Amino acid sequence: MVKDTIIEVKHMEKRFGSTIALNNVNITINRGQIIGLIGENGSGKSTVTSIISGMQRADSGEMIFRGEKWQPDSMLYALDHGIGMIVQENGTVPGITVAENIFIGEYEKFKSFSAGNGRKWGFIRRRQMMAAAEKVLDNIGVTHIAPEMLTGALDLQDRKLIEIAKIINKNPDVLIVDETTTALSQIGRDIIYKIMNRMKEENKAVIFISHDLDEIIRVCDALTILRDGKIIITFKKDEFDEQLIKTSMIGRELQGDYYRSDYDGSYESEVVLEIKNVQLNNRLKDFNLQLHKGEILGIGGLSHCGMHELGKVLFRSIMPDAGEVLVHGKNIKDEAEAMKQKMGYVAKDRDIESLCLNASIRDNIAIAGLDEFAVNNFLVLPNKESKYVQEQIDSLSIKCTDKDQYVSALSGGNKQKVVFGKWIGRGSEILILDCPTRGVDIGVKQAMYQLMYTMKKAGKSIIIISEEMSELIGMADRLVVMKDGRIMKEFPRSKELCEADIIQYMI
Amino acid sequence: MKKVLALALCLMMVGTLASGCGKETTENKGNADNIGITEAPTQEGEVTPDVTEGAKKVEIDTSKTIKIGVLVSDATTPEALAFRSYYTDYIQKQYNVEFVYSDELKDAAGEKSAIDTLVTNNCKAIISFSSFDRPAQIEQCAGAKVYYAVATGTLTQEQYDKYKDNEYYVGAIGPSLEDEYQTGYDMAKRYIDLGNTNYAIFGGAIPYFTDMHIYRAAGMLTAMVEAGGADANYLGATTKEAIVQQIYADSGIQTGNIGSLSIVAYVGGYDMNDAWFAQCAQMAQTKDLQVILAVGNGSDFFGAAIKGADVKIASVDAYASSYGDAMNAGMLDYLAGKFSASIGPVFAAVYSTVNGYPIRTDEGYALALSQGYWIAASSDEFQKYYAVDSSKESPAYTKSALDILVGSDYKTFSDFVSKYSFDEVVQLSK
Amino acid sequence: MKKIDVQKQILKIAPVVALLILFAVFYMVGTIKDINVAYGMKAIINQSVVVAIVATGAVFIYTLGSFDISLGASVAVSALLGGIVYNATKSILLMLAVCVGIAVLVALFNSVLASVFNLPVFVTTIAMLSILNAVVLMLISANGTGSQIAVPSEAVAGLDNLGIKVLVLFLFEALCIFVFNFTKIGRKQKFLGSNPVCAKLTGISDKKMSIVAFVMSGIGVGLGAFLCIIYAPTLTKNTATSVGMDVIIAIVFGGMPVSGGARSKITAALIGAFSMTFLSQIMILFNLNLGIGQMVKAAIFLFVVFVATSNQRAKMLPR
Repeated sequence: MVKDTIIEVKHMEKRFGSTIALNNVNITINRGQIIGLIGENGSGKSTVTSIISGMQRADSGEMIFRGEKWQPDSMLYALDHGIGMIVQENGTVPGITVAENIFIGEYEKFKSFSAGNGRKWGFIRRRQMMAAAEKVLDNIGVTHIAPEMLTGALDLQDRKLIEIAKIINKNPDVLIVDETTTALSQIGRDIIYKIMNRMKEENKAVIFISHDLDEIIRVCDALTILRDGKIIITFKKDEFDEQLIKTSMIGRELQGDYYRSDYDGSYESEVVLEIKNVQLNNRLKDFNLQLHKGEILGIGGLSHCGMHELGKVLFRSIMPDAGEVLVHGKNIKDEAEAMKQKMGYVAKDRDIESLCLNASIRDNIAIAGLDEFAVNNFLVLPNKESKYVQEQIDSLSIKCTDKDQYVSALSGGNKQKVVFGKWIGRGSEILILDCPTRGVDIGVKQAMYQLMYTMKKAGKSIIIISEEMSELIGMADRLVVMKDGRIMKEFPRSKELCEADIIQYMI
Repeated sequence: MKKVLALALCLMMVGTLASGCGKETTENKGNADNIGITEAPTQEGEVTPDVTEGAKKVEIDTSKTIKIGVLVSDATTPEALAFRSYYTDYIQKQYNVEFVYSDELKDAAGEKSAIDTLVTNNCKAIISFSSFDRPAQIEQCAGAKVYYAVATGTLTQEQYDKYKDNEYYVGAIGPSLEDEYQTGYDMAKRYIDLGNTNYAIFGGAIPYFTDMHIYRAAGMLTAMVEAGGADANYLGATTKEAIVQQIYADSGIQTGNIGSLSIVAYVGGYDMNDAWFAQCAQMAQTKDLQVILAVGNGSDFFGAAIKGADVKIASVDAYASSYGDAMNAGMLDYLAGKFSASIGPVFAAVYSTVNGYPIRTDEGYALALSQGYWIAASSDEFQKYYAVDSSKESPAYTKSALDILVGSDYKTFSDFVSKYSFDEVVQLSK
Repeated sequence: MKKIDVQKQILKIAPVVALLILFAVFYMVGTIKDINVAYGMKAIINQSVVVAIVATGAVFIYTLGSFDISLGASVAVSALLGGIVYNATKSILLMLAVCVGIAVLVALFNSVLASVFNLPVFVTTIAMLSILNAVVLMLISANGTGSQIAVPSEAVAGLDNLGIKVLVLFLFEALCIFVFNFTKIGRKQKFLGSNPVCAKLTGISDKKMSIVAFVMSGIGVGLGAFLCIIYAPTLTKNTATSVGMDVIIAIVFGGMPVSGGARSKITAALIGAFSMTFLSQIMILFNLNLGIGQMVKAAIFLFVVFVATSNQRAKMLPR
């Protein structure tokens, strides 16, 4: 394989107002390489890739792609000319079919008649388009999605896969994968890995952004670390060292424990939350589970195993078809009652379900704590509210300009801290955390793990639902593995427990 | 950059429009139904109107433009446009006045708000074509010390008694309900005399209880009852009063025989939706139909549908070119129309009053004069009337005719108004 | 960061600045053109007050990201029934009570209907618009003279003064600001409007909140209806027909985000209603006829809304 340069970024600078997002960034990417870009939230990694892929422009600096000056003015242009990006956010249109999404902007090639000037006219030949879409999906190893389905009816993962298919169909020379894997289960991740490896074999290049350090270490050939808009260091595969990488990312040594250090695994005997014989169409089957006071209960499985629905059923935001949810032995009927019983729920889809992005930190934290500080449970006094919110910001050390900053302007980790503040501030005794560290960088992750541990010691009960086995092993007193809506296996906390033990029950 | 450019363009547009339009005076703003101030050309060479009626000397200061507000509840019909054209294209050029028109008013609140705006713009008097709440208009104008007059309409007796003493109420000149009744009567009578027996009636605003339309229809029905033979009656009613009452009770007109004559179809209202237009078309094509008697504009709604059939349409409205075309095309046979200059005398009364020469009855009351229609029963007649009515140089009431009224006494004024037939008016203007 | 904050503050007050500029232009041009400015100010208050009150109540609905197009018709029905009741009882207080009561009932019906059929409320308001228009026609033909329902003007003449109108406006404004900014209800409204999914998962009942929002808007409609009667006691089928659209324009003009949510402001309605009236009056001063006047108005409207909302559309840092 020839190791020639495919794309080169030179002296790239980018500012947003007074914030320096990129400060003299230089990156060289060779053909046949998968390069990882990592850094804490706000370090500038997404900014670099968004400039390469034509989403926005740099203030200064230049890019060379395949030996020529590269200045794409849109993502579409970039994709047509060899650089495609799979983004963090959703890139599909919900109201049209899968096939239409895959061929969006190219319908003309399915029209019947040639108009002579290279253009075509007539009706779009649907069947031909469906067949072509099926081929494209097959090509990336996706067989379970029918091209004629409405995209809106699919879940997050399948929509992501369609987007991947759409981009791969354009056969780009450089593929940028920007935190796509966080939205995917193991199956989806495997599909992406396969594509990345294929591109590598075809002597193309991949830029891979992820928060999952294990994943990056496993997949990438080289690793570039960004911090505060600057390139800190680039490691080659043989130089990969987890501790070193972490230190480079946050710019200091991680102090103290990452997960909890004890293997005690004990909790009180009092059952605080119980789910009895719950049935939820095909997602949960005659499901029974108990959570105890002072327990961290881990629930693991593949994305579709029903565990995410379980979280919602526990918080009563989904009504099960049968069975009951008891909090302290009492049946609850909706989220408001769950909250009265001091329950809190951190959703997997943080930006939509747990936060209001277009509102301030104050609004987001105060909304769940109204009962705590409203006078006579009615009157909201600004000073009391400010005090309440400021306490949460301080105790969780949320990085922000002030409490009136919009949540949308925060990094993933700080957003998640706001969500925690929302529930912890009101003194929640039972927390249901669905993928609480998804898209969160290491420093914040560590803080959260320690927070959970502190809460456990204070007698609070926590359920962590996660697709990351390492954090379940690291944190849970008891670990339940789910598959197809049922509990397959239960592990007590133990030093010996490893991912392989769990994974065999998941698949 | 694009955004900044777009913004700049947007601002420039606002700027130029605002500054440019402020100064420019468009010649004809007849179609504008926003409150638009139509400025009069200043008349420096103009001398005091030479009015030497009787022994009275009338001195009017023409150096300052007088603003007169006009309230309209209709700004688009041929009639409304003709009236507007007479004020803005003729009167405004002859006198140093400026007419400020209101929006097309929809209700009493709109009238009140429009009067506020007119007063703000220093209108000294208001001439109203809008009738949602006349008493409220009068009281509001009086409160703001602005003169008020009713054009093409009348107050009820009760209202008149209440306001006739009010110095700010100038009065009303327009067809009385008696005139309206007679108009309908004459229209029907003409076709009965021609031997027609099968009629359809278009009831206009009868469903909305509009008095003038009800009285016109009552006139038509009374003429039929009188001509229909000994036992002829309309639903048992035989007198004018009983018929009026019956129409009020039904808020419409029932089809059926009136003695030897018959009403074969009826449509009322101005719904203007598909179903309503379908009803109209159906009515025009009723079997054996001979004449459509409309209490308002008939040719616009039925003209197209009678093409080829031997059906005549008679309407009540105003002298507008579209009716001439309709007559030529056989879509209109008879028109009882207001002439646009009929609003001249009310202007003269207002103008006179604003300049310190109020025209009051001998008892000192406000004017309450009635004035009817010009009847055209052929295209030639129509064209003859229309030529005079639409003239911008020498309309039916010219300045010299109106000058007779400015500063005149009540008798002169009421005599003048009562001579409203075409020939009389032409004579006066000479 | 400081610079951005300053910019944010300026944009925040853009609608207020627009109002002040419009006032200044009106005052200056009016003085130059020698109009009766003092009378004009009174006229502007008279012309704005009903829309301002109805729009202020409606902000609660807009905050939820919803929409009520039946407000004008609801004002008409409330006013008509208020008028009928006055004519029957000769009690102004009863008339006020009926106006507010009917408006609240209509609003409740709207929101309950929406929650029973699980429809977006704006859908039920479309249906409600037709129903209310039909009710207006029925009331008018069944009562009064057939074309109108008139409350004797002497009966309300005493109330038709600016003091009372401004007082009603002020009290209602104060009530709304209190509920919106200083109670749990207001917080929940804003949050629900910002993100209904998250609100549900934070224990906020959209049905309850939508009912509260409609009740608040109903009170505004009722007071608006009462002031309508006082202003023009002759009510027809056209009473308040323009109110519905004016309310929408006023709210947007005042800087309220159309999608509702956290940035919603009660005062947007008041500012917008007055700005709109000033703008109309200025158009009249500049002697613009229908076409051009409307175009200029539209351009200014777009400009103000553009400026007022530009911080909401400002580019965000990529995460």
